[in-house]
Amino acid sequence: MTPTEWQNASTEGEVAVGRRPMFHRVLRAHPATVRDTLIAIRGRFHGQISEDTLGRLELVLAEVMNNVAKHAGPRPVSAGEVPGAEGAPLIHLCIVQHDTGLSCAVTDDGVSVPDDCLLPRDLPQAETDNLPEGGFGWYLIQDLTQALCYYREHKRNFLAFCVPFTVSQRPLY
Amino acid sequence: MQLDVTEEDARIVVTVGDARIDAAVAIAFKDKVREIVLRKSKPVVMDMHNVDFMDSSGLGAMIAVRKALPEAMPLTLRGLTPNVERVFRLTRMDMVFDISPNDNSELQ
Repeated sequence: MTPTEWQNASTEGEVAVGRRPMFHRVLRAHPATVRDTLIAIRGRFHGQISEDTLGRLELVLAEVMNNVAKHAGPRPVSAGEVPGAEGAPLIHLCIVQHDTGLSCAVTDDGVSVPDDCLLPRDLPQAETDNLPEGGFGWYLIQDLTQALCYYREHKRNFLAFCVPFTVSQRPLY
Repeated sequence: MQLDVTEEDARIVVTVGDARIDAAVAIAFKDKVREIVLRKSKPVVMDMHNVDFMDSSGLGAMIAVRKALPEAMPLTLRGLTPNVERVFRLTRMDMVFDISPNDNSELQ
């Protein structure tokens, strides 16, 4: 088979290449740029997936990308960049729609992700007289994704995960 | 950051005008709301029906506002949209905040 025939082959004899939206963007890790990107993602997938899935996708990506922005170390500034985002790590984001959910790949050249972020975690302790104001980000990422995996190579972080269309009850430990 | 404040006899109603409480505005949001609620020293109702996205930074700002108020001073949230309600529910902060159930007839 030629590459085109191979791509178009399916068990039903129909064209298997889907016409599903994808999303790809390279952006500086800065809250304003992250916000613009999330709004663009909403525009791309609106009407294609349920509002519920879109809401979960948006929340996960906000947490992932804002983490990169928040924990970025000092970096050299190059000319002609977004004001306020100069020198911030560069994020590459790719989202692909599958039958069961949305697969996301996020890479960045920021500092490496501490090991304990990827370990199964609980919510920060909430005491009535001393409520935590942070520490929810990685909990939400873990809670809302499946097949979360991470590795670091050549000064880049690689994070991949799936946001499923339907949410099953999280097992109780 | 758009906040509309209506003062009634027994409470103040703060309506958030922005559609997003995210990392880009969380600190400004926290400072501004905290200043409003501390100045009035009355029970607070925060109307969030315009907010269709909130992330953990936004949640942190809400928690900071709650902590700034005396424990006995009520802070009630109303008009939570599904995306905002999800963040409170998943982090179990729905147990900490007083959240008014939505009247579905108003959403139509």
